[in-house]
Amino acid sequence: MAAREILPVLGVDAVYPEDFSCCGEHVKSVNQLITLYLSARNMAVCEKNGLENIYVPCSDCHLALSETKRVLNGSAELKERINTALASENLKYTGAVTLYHTLDLLHDYIGVEKIKSLVKKPFNGITVATHYGCKTIRPTEVGRPDNAENPQKMEKILTAIGVNTQPYPEKLDCCGASLLANLPETPLTKTGQKLKAIAEQGFAAMVDACPWCHKMYDSKQAKALETVASKSAVPVVNLLQIVGIALGIDKEKLGLNLNSSPAEKIAAEVTAS
Amino acid sequence: MNRIGVFICHCGINISNTVDVDKLTEFAAGLNGVIVAKNYKYMCSDVGAQLIKEATREHTLDALIIASCSPRMHEHTFRGVAEESGVNPFKVEIVNIREQCSWVHKEKVQGTEKAASLLKGAVAKAHLLEPLQKSKSAVVHEALVIGAGIAGIQAALDLANDGFKVFLVEKEASIGGRMSQLDKTFPTLDCSSCILTPKMMEVGNHPNIELLTYTEVVSVEGRVGNFKVAVKKKPRYVDMTKCTGCTSCVAACRMKGKVPDEFNMKRGKRSAIYIPFPQAIPLKCTIDPKSCIFLKTGKCGKGPLCVEACEPKAIDFTQKEEIVTLSVGTIIVATGFDLLDPEALYEYGYAKTPNVITTLEFERFVSPSGPSEGHIIVPSTGEPPKSVTYILCVGSRDETQCKWCCRIGCMSALKQVYLIREKLGPEVEINLCYTDIRSFGKGYEEFYRTIRSKGVNFFRGRPSEVRSTKEGLVIDIFDTTTNKLFEIKSDMVVLVPALVPRAGSEEFSRTMNLSRSSDGFFLEAHPKLRPSDTFVNGIFIAGCCQGPKDIADTVAQASAAASKAAAILSAKELENDPMIAAVEPELCAGCGVCVAVCTYKARNMNTITNIAEVDEALCAGCGACIAACPSNASIHKNLTKQQLISMIDEIL
Repeated sequence: MAAREILPVLGVDAVYPEDFSCCGEHVKSVNQLITLYLSARNMAVCEKNGLENIYVPCSDCHLALSETKRVLNGSAELKERINTALASENLKYTGAVTLYHTLDLLHDYIGVEKIKSLVKKPFNGITVATHYGCKTIRPTEVGRPDNAENPQKMEKILTAIGVNTQPYPEKLDCCGASLLANLPETPLTKTGQKLKAIAEQGFAAMVDACPWCHKMYDSKQAKALETVASKSAVPVVNLLQIVGIALGIDKEKLGLNLNSSPAEKIAAEVTAS
Repeated sequence: MNRIGVFICHCGINISNTVDVDKLTEFAAGLNGVIVAKNYKYMCSDVGAQLIKEATREHTLDALIIASCSPRMHEHTFRGVAEESGVNPFKVEIVNIREQCSWVHKEKVQGTEKAASLLKGAVAKAHLLEPLQKSKSAVVHEALVIGAGIAGIQAALDLANDGFKVFLVEKEASIGGRMSQLDKTFPTLDCSSCILTPKMMEVGNHPNIELLTYTEVVSVEGRVGNFKVAVKKKPRYVDMTKCTGCTSCVAACRMKGKVPDEFNMKRGKRSAIYIPFPQAIPLKCTIDPKSCIFLKTGKCGKGPLCVEACEPKAIDFTQKEEIVTLSVGTIIVATGFDLLDPEALYEYGYAKTPNVITTLEFERFVSPSGPSEGHIIVPSTGEPPKSVTYILCVGSRDETQCKWCCRIGCMSALKQVYLIREKLGPEVEINLCYTDIRSFGKGYEEFYRTIRSKGVNFFRGRPSEVRSTKEGLVIDIFDTTTNKLFEIKSDMVVLVPALVPRAGSEEFSRTMNLSRSSDGFFLEAHPKLRPSDTFVNGIFIAGCCQGPKDIADTVAQASAAASKAAAILSAKELENDPMIAAVEPELCAGCGVCVAVCTYKARNMNTITNIAEVDEALCAGCGACIAACPSNASIHKNLTKQQLISMIDEIL
């Protein structure tokens, strides 16, 4: 929702092919071939539509697509096998599509300077905690949008829109979302601990760059805080949402009212213009 | 037409298992010009040599073909056998049927077929081999040692005590190297300075050693027995003959306490004019041009205070860099190591907090002459720590950083644990996160056992993160012996970083023409049998520039390098390999391409005839000029185009 609003403002011409499928990331451990096929299929759809770049806002999907590119580039045999399967739909995967995640789309493709020049409602210097999400930055060898140990792109983007950031000990802690189906206690504790630490250190909000993590910190926040016996709610927004506010986009259009955490609070933290 | 003998080696079963030696012998006997063909189990043994000699005399052979292992193994041996049998040693051709046939083929049919075809080529070449004579060249009976750490010091002293003049070059202001930065040594806990300083003094006073500190090697020309080495003496801006080492200038300097001190791993501060450490040799001051106000701006207050403070008037801002050329017979390279910069591993927190330090920084803290005068302190507070955590293998044995083991990390950490217990008592909590404790040396395992009884928490695993929190440092570690995730709270963390080649060793290797292994350390000529030789005849390596090692191994290798160097220095003259470049004067057009491509400066142009020449003493036989010559006038003796084409014709 936020992405659809932001892209035209940033001058990105976005099209939405209709026959996209799931990336298959979550069946990877059961059958990698399915993941490779589904991810390659999505890239093949782009190729068929003559699209050179694909923007993947979800870190899980971005990882699945990146890994598929890496595996198929390294194995002519697998590539042929996938292409044989794709042929029934008249699709062909060559690997020509370039992948973008929210982080490198904003930081590298559009650029911090351009974002800065487009800001209509700069923030007043509130300090937020950043959360990248494990799959956004790991594993390094697959090629991720930022450094695994010291990611800084979100910090630079946020600085450009008037938001302060500060390193905190729990910055790289995992939300635990992948365990939600089997061991719900563990991820809720992990999520709760991180939210509690963020509240204790006085951050005004948490900004994340991964929809899965967002689900944990935002949608499951009440339950997570209950698990660690904390009463301090933390406003949690996605990077696209906070950038959207600074670009002057209406907060309802960015879906801020749909966040379960008190996210709408932060829309008030812009300097009056 | 030569009378040729072919001798085929079984190499035990190394060759005979995959090459049918009997069939090959029969095949060889039928080749054009082959008078005799024999095979034997170990041709390189005395019995094998005897067999070759007898056959050579009996059949009055004048060229020998040995089908055996790589010429790098035994070419020298068989040339000797030929000479003893009265055949010119350069009329020996080696066919490598081990590395090129038996070791790379699985099927006997293929192995034998390939061996036969290589043999055919060798016979064709053997008919064209020229008898070559070795020329001789004089030896300069002086040596150069580069790097004056413990390796360079030991090598220089050994050579000097053997009676040879030694130039000892050190790029820093004082000799001593890494060992001088250490407080105690493992496993005996000898005081590092106490055992090193006497050797440093000896170097400083030895009549046969000329010490060139604050000096770097710029270029090397020539070859074994006669190297010409240009060195750059950097200006100290202090007259060495006048300076008494009183350090009045150090106390007077306006930059006092402001310049990060490299000797203390930047954990202390010095003046712009300084002596690296109290036991420095030479005990003379040096001005660091990067921090001296006068050298940077041309003025310093109303006049440099060091000049005012210096009674013997030793300070001289007019000194200039000076290039000196040294003439030496051999060179020993002992340039040492660096520690991996732990900032490369962001998760260990070195970049985040001052309370994460390296082992070398700890050595400086614990040293009485270090920044805290021997007190173990938490850098941010200056107070003694209540708990210390060691992280071993920082970047070592790590596919993303350094794949190798640093070989000293475990022991140096255990030694430091001992020092903490000794200085801060039993109350301090000590944690040690290790991968494996490698206590392989003499007395090392016993030392490890001692430490295990000192109340240390050993965690087997690599921490995932060092977090800097308000309560101190928090280390997350998964212990693989208990399969549990631990969270350790600690006041300070000591990292044991990987050992890496010295900064600039890539450039230095080009200057010296040395090879480097994939890890970047200088490559020895053979990992087991020639550990201190290099591929450049006359240049030897010692210490950590060849690969990580402890002090004991470093000293042993340094003495080995010195004795190898002494063998060259004590020869009156050296024989030159005659398999080098030569010129066909009638073909030479005088274009000079060969002069331009020669890295050994062995090619030059005769200014009268305008025909290229080869300096036989300098030519290393690398073949660059032969490939470069557009008129085919440069030839390689006994590897001529005609010889090689005849081989190819025969094989194909």
